[in-house]
Amino acid sequence: MKKRVFAWLTLALALVMAVGSVTFLGACVHEDGSFGTCHWASRALLGIGILLAAQSGIALATGHAGAYLCMAFTAALGLLLPGTLIRLCGMATMHCRAVMQPAMTLLNAGILILALAGFLLETRRAKRGTP
Amino acid sequence: MKSLPVKNLIRKPGRTAALMLLTAFLALAVFGGSLVVLSLRQGLNSLEARLGADIIVVPSEAQSKVSFQNMFLQGTTGAFYMDAENLKRVREIEGVEKAAPQIFLASLKADCCSVKIQVIGFDPQADFTVQPWIAQSYARELGEMDVVVGCKVEAGVGEILRIYDQRCKVVGRLAATGTGLDTAVYCNLDTIRLLLQAAEEKGVSHKVTSDSAADQVSAIYVKVKVGYDVGRVNTAIQGHTRKASAVRTRSMITDVSDSLAGISRTVTGLIGAVWVLAFLILLIAFAMIIRERRREFAVLRLAGMSRRMLSGLILRETALCSLLGGVLGVCAAALLAFPFATLIETALGLPYLTPDLRTVALLAAAAVAAAGIVGSLASAGAAWRLSRVDPGTILREGA
Amino acid sequence: MLKAENVGKMYFRKSGQANYFYPVRDVSLTLTPGAVTVLTGRSGSGKTTLLHLLAGLLTPSEGKVYWDGTDLYSLPDAALSRLRNEKIGVIPQGRSAVDTLTVLENVQLPAALYRRRMPDAAPWLASLGIGHLAQARPAELSGGELRRVAIARALASEPEVILADEPTGDLDDENTERVLRIFRQAAQAGKAVFLVTHELDALRYADFAYRMENGCMTPCETQMK
Repeated sequence: MKKRVFAWLTLALALVMAVGSVTFLGACVHEDGSFGTCHWASRALLGIGILLAAQSGIALATGHAGAYLCMAFTAALGLLLPGTLIRLCGMATMHCRAVMQPAMTLLNAGILILALAGFLLETRRAKRGTP
Repeated sequence: MKSLPVKNLIRKPGRTAALMLLTAFLALAVFGGSLVVLSLRQGLNSLEARLGADIIVVPSEAQSKVSFQNMFLQGTTGAFYMDAENLKRVREIEGVEKAAPQIFLASLKADCCSVKIQVIGFDPQADFTVQPWIAQSYARELGEMDVVVGCKVEAGVGEILRIYDQRCKVVGRLAATGTGLDTAVYCNLDTIRLLLQAAEEKGVSHKVTSDSAADQVSAIYVKVKVGYDVGRVNTAIQGHTRKASAVRTRSMITDVSDSLAGISRTVTGLIGAVWVLAFLILLIAFAMIIRERRREFAVLRLAGMSRRMLSGLILRETALCSLLGGVLGVCAAALLAFPFATLIETALGLPYLTPDLRTVALLAAAAVAAAGIVGSLASAGAAWRLSRVDPGTILREGA
Repeated sequence: MLKAENVGKMYFRKSGQANYFYPVRDVSLTLTPGAVTVLTGRSGSGKTTLLHLLAGLLTPSEGKVYWDGTDLYSLPDAALSRLRNEKIGVIPQGRSAVDTLTVLENVQLPAALYRRRMPDAAPWLASLGIGHLAQARPAELSGGELRRVAIARALASEPEVILADEPTGDLDDENTERVLRIFRQAAQAGKAVFLVTHELDALRYADFAYRMENGCMTPCETQMK
């Protein structure tokens, strides 16, 4: 448990991201029932969240430094997704801009940092030869 | 022995982390709370500056004050109209220096998003409230179908904004005001009349008091001549206009500052409570930790540390730990307060404008310093009591 | 030179003024440089209290302790602490290592406190049989090893007086011999060594020997070879 603390943390954050993207952190549905780009951005974030959770699982099970590195890249993608790669609502007061974007940015940034920390830790462990 | 406090902190990570967490809460409360209060105050100032008029005349059917105030404070859309005749009448009243009309229009959804956008048309010749503000970001006169957007409308200069299928060109973006005006789009009277017509064609009926769109206004901003009593002029306007009510901006601002004072009190109370609680917990924590480490400190005295050196060591250790905790708390508060500023603003329903970087930096430094001082103070008593005891007495206790 | 004149220590028991007791009463003692002085006695007889009084760690209720003619307890705390740091090596009973420092840092602690040149601790650690533990942390050490760390700390800073409280308490026979021999050598190098112990073995290394009973000290026979 203690040895893979970073993977546990990223797993928790990734689950918050995945569950949040379809609940309290997601984008709202338009008044007329149509979907905007922000809705599809939140769907993409659901995918990223699931992917990150799976990668955390792999890191937990194997402790491979590479799993952490993959996670870092995925989180970087998640960081760019809302707002940069997919344009969100035009009004900053909308839920997607006021809640989804900052929350997802924080979650992805957190996962990115934790994944890099885990990567460094595991490469150092591998060098020293301790399992 | 300079590095002893550092070594003590690093080599007992659990103890250090627990103490840091406590002081982090302190710093988080003081920094986050003060930031919110300061932002609200800044928002109020900005609202005052942006209103710029002494009296605002709006149609009485628009439930005058409420919907108008919401437009300013929360950025809800408003579309209400009265006879343009009222403008003439207001201008004739003694004591009125300037009177500028504005026409409001609520867009259906713009192509960007599901939200309605407030479009505000103003008269460049008469206006004295919007233009000075627009001039900060767009110095030239607005042409036909040119719009300037508030900072919360995501549209870059040069982009085309479609409103009722009309192509409006964004020529400027306004600086943040923290008020509902940040979500609005500004244009001149000709443009807004075209947009009103387009809305009419789309079957969106705006309540029009007369046949022609040219004969209606939504609000009249009034500046009172120096030396005239605003209350009197207000009453005069009230009597001379039809189906309109005059609102003194001062009363709007007073309403806002009243709710701001309420929030300030609550936040200050909360900060105070967190501080008292955290200080008590810190006092107990340090008393327990120092009690537990009595033997270690007695050994240091035995090795030749004087009372002063020992107190210094304890103070340096706790100060360092508290300062680090303070930094941690400020960072955590910043990570919540800045990304979610819009959410806080929407939730409070009041003008909210984050202070400039210098103020924020000063506030952060003050919060960290406060955490450091409180941490040191909390340990000072226990450190002093410890240094009064003969080390021999301590060594006897638990040999 | 360290000298005690008619020192005594009185403690009040928690229950009240009338209930006091004297762990040490009217003791006079001079620690001669170059000699090992051994104090024996049953536990609770006041040996440790006397050692603390001599070390400047416990203010006496009566009498005086002199260092080269100066009353130790009339000195301000800073001066007394500095004097203890430079001239007196104290080995207290029980655990006395700073947990957050390594063994080596613990041994060099007295010098580090006043930023003196760090003594070479390696030979001391080696002669006490703990040379390999220099980088270990106290939590990883056994009771006997910790004891020897305390002894190394007292000796390494080359004090003029060594005050040792049950220095061989946690040690096996072999290490007890080793430690007592080291104290003997220290005395031969001109230091005044004061050993408090309930083990009569130490008497074999003593130049002077005393016995403590109910706070009072009386001379007794040494068993010098």
